[in-house]
Amino acid sequence: MMHAFETLQLAQLAFPAEMNNSVLAPYLFVSAAMFCIGLIGFMTRKNMIIMFLCTELMFQAAGLSLIAFGRHHLGSDGQTFVIFVLTVAAAEAAMALALVVLLFRHRESLSASAWKELNG
Amino acid sequence: MYTLAEANEISAYLPVLLMIIGAAGFAGANLLFSFILGPRRAGERKGETYESGMDAVGTARKRFNIRFYLIAMVFLVFDVEIIFLYPWAQTFTSLDPMSDSSQIWLLRILFFLFTTLVAYIYGYRKGVFKFD
Amino acid sequence: MTEKLAILWPEIFLFIATCLVMITGQWPSRAIRAFTPWICAVALFAAFGAAMSSPGSGSAHGGMFPEIVPYAKMLIAAVGMLILLLLSGTVDRELEAEVDAGKPFSSIRSNRGEFYAFFMFSLTGLMLTASADDLIWLFLALELTSLPTYIMVAISTERKKSLEAAVKYFFLGALGAAIFLYGFALIYGATGSTNLSEIATVFATQTANGGISSLGMIGLLIAIIGIAFKIAAVPMHFYTPDVYQGAASPVAAMLAFVPKTAGFLALMFILGTVGWNDGTAGGGHLPVAIEATLWIMAALTMTVGNILALLQTSVKRILAYSSIAHSGYMLVGLIAGPGIIGGPFYQNGLAAVLFYLLTYGIMTVGVFAVLASLEHRNGDEADDMDDIRGLCKSHPVLGWTLVICTLSMLGFPPLLGFLGKVGLFTSGIAAGQYALIVILGINSAIAACYYLRLVAAAYIDDKGKVSSPVYASPFATRKIAGVVSAFFVLFLLVFAQPMINGAYNASKYVPAVAGEVEHNDHTDRHTQSSPAKADEDVALTHKALID
Repeated sequence: MMHAFETLQLAQLAFPAEMNNSVLAPYLFVSAAMFCIGLIGFMTRKNMIIMFLCTELMFQAAGLSLIAFGRHHLGSDGQTFVIFVLTVAAAEAAMALALVVLLFRHRESLSASAWKELNG
Repeated sequence: MYTLAEANEISAYLPVLLMIIGAAGFAGANLLFSFILGPRRAGERKGETYESGMDAVGTARKRFNIRFYLIAMVFLVFDVEIIFLYPWAQTFTSLDPMSDSSQIWLLRILFFLFTTLVAYIYGYRKGVFKFD
Repeated sequence: MTEKLAILWPEIFLFIATCLVMITGQWPSRAIRAFTPWICAVALFAAFGAAMSSPGSGSAHGGMFPEIVPYAKMLIAAVGMLILLLLSGTVDRELEAEVDAGKPFSSIRSNRGEFYAFFMFSLTGLMLTASADDLIWLFLALELTSLPTYIMVAISTERKKSLEAAVKYFFLGALGAAIFLYGFALIYGATGSTNLSEIATVFATQTANGGISSLGMIGLLIAIIGIAFKIAAVPMHFYTPDVYQGAASPVAAMLAFVPKTAGFLALMFILGTVGWNDGTAGGGHLPVAIEATLWIMAALTMTVGNILALLQTSVKRILAYSSIAHSGYMLVGLIAGPGIIGGPFYQNGLAAVLFYLLTYGIMTVGVFAVLASLEHRNGDEADDMDDIRGLCKSHPVLGWTLVICTLSMLGFPPLLGFLGKVGLFTSGIAAGQYALIVILGINSAIAACYYLRLVAAAYIDDKGKVSSPVYASPFATRKIAGVVSAFFVLFLLVFAQPMINGAYNASKYVPAVAGEVEHNDHTDRHTQSSPAKADEDVALTHKALID
């Protein structure tokens, strides 16, 4: 058991200094911008594929923050988190693909405004 | 304890506010500028699928076989499993092969792969792997 | 590590059942296919038993909510069994009829395996949410709870509108997930840990030193707004009526219970990290920004839900809006918090929420069971107000089930729902949230209008000339689910004491104490290897395996 964590330490000794705020900030800014682009895109676009890409963008924005923070705190938690985020994103992609294909067969359109059966 | 901002004053929120304004402004400005500056030309060449490229042949509405989607999704599932094997393998090689913990780690990954097996059996019964 | 495994047995049973039903559900032999729901039932019984004998999460849980696991998992397994009764016959009706008529079975067209497997996956995720002690775990559990439900909505009927509902649900669900994930990322950034109790310690230290860092606060708020999607609270409630109407009634019943429970458990854990103690000794308040957000959310959720419910003619849409309103009621309990440590049940908002989740699950299954048991000749489900007119005369059992469960949702005194609501009221008063309690009271009065409309339609109205009358659907278990729910609603009040005690024990909350985090990453990683960190990593790997 000890070996594993000595290896882990070695990996961290390669970059032992904490990342200071001026290095961290650009990462956070890019991540926040990605998140906002995704959010705004989700609300303004009508194409299902684009809307899905926007949610993916938001997921990856969170992933970028996690990695930057992980480096900032010199821990492996952030990177671990990102692996799981990627998995969930892949699962959602598979699901979105299936749903969009099914829908396209029904309506021959991918515009969100083409589906208005449920309203009230 | 080191944290990014310690104080609970309202001024501590200023960077965050600036960040939000900056990020939302960046996103909004992109939309706005592409709306204002983006050229809007209509025409025969402009309407082509690949502008100044090859002429498109046939229709894009051609139906693909459902198999392609199934294969794509199955690939996605098995593909993602690999990223869990990589950190496991990294750690496993540094464990003492005789120790209990290495056996436990092995059992864990075997259980993880067992779930892949279940997915495989499911796909097989569903007929995903029948190429006829 | 073994402690962690000890509280995970219910999930393990459910997971094994999931693997089995995924394969048996599409077996060519009819008997094996029909056996699929029984596997789920056995697994749920086993999970219930395992949860009953499960230790409280104890130190494996990081100590914030040391007793929540047994109660939450028993609640999930019990309501899960009711929903399982309700789910029978939802998918593959046409296919099975064709097979009966002599056509060969085609596994690619069958949805039975997926349907039950996804149901079990969702319940597994819900139980994992209850045992979550880490942000990563919490995120994965919430996603495991909601991802299967999207597909369940899509395959629940053969009609187009279920597909449309599924797409709406999926896209907004993905949006909600992305939002709370971003919140989690910021919380991790502000505290340097993904472990909930370590986060709580860091937040407690920050509170003692002048306040929670702005980054952490923003992260918490974003996470709360993202999780609001799961409980259908106001900024994220738009999908609810469309999805409930588009999905088949049994699946709608599941949607009313499963994501809501997951959302409230997750909110409890997230709020637990900052605690209901505003830095002032003995104060029972969340930090101001969070309390204000939740306050507005609760008030708007109740009001919007109830007022829009007044305008509906579809019973399922009424129930959807009432589900939004019920989330608002439960948010009051969250705002009130656990009260004084060791205080009585009626001052404990968390106990009230945990108890209300149980009562709400039972009532809502009852009402949806009535809808699921009625159908038109062409196979359409009963949905319109006209369909339930005069139900007490035409189908007395279903009619009275509807009346009892609806009155309970209204909070009519001798019924189960009343007891749940009283807990929310008294805990709110104990926490000094008088304005919110007034809003809660007014909303209960508004809610009476549409609930009584349902009751009156079933009990008083005579069935006049109806263009397409409803008939009882051929699935007896759905009726049984309704009757069992009505029975619980009527008589559980008498035997409510053990459940209240359960909820009260489960809500035990140990606030974090300010101080250094023991195994913090950047304090001791360089100097010494940390065995506790090793355990944590092991736990993460284990989590990967379970998921």
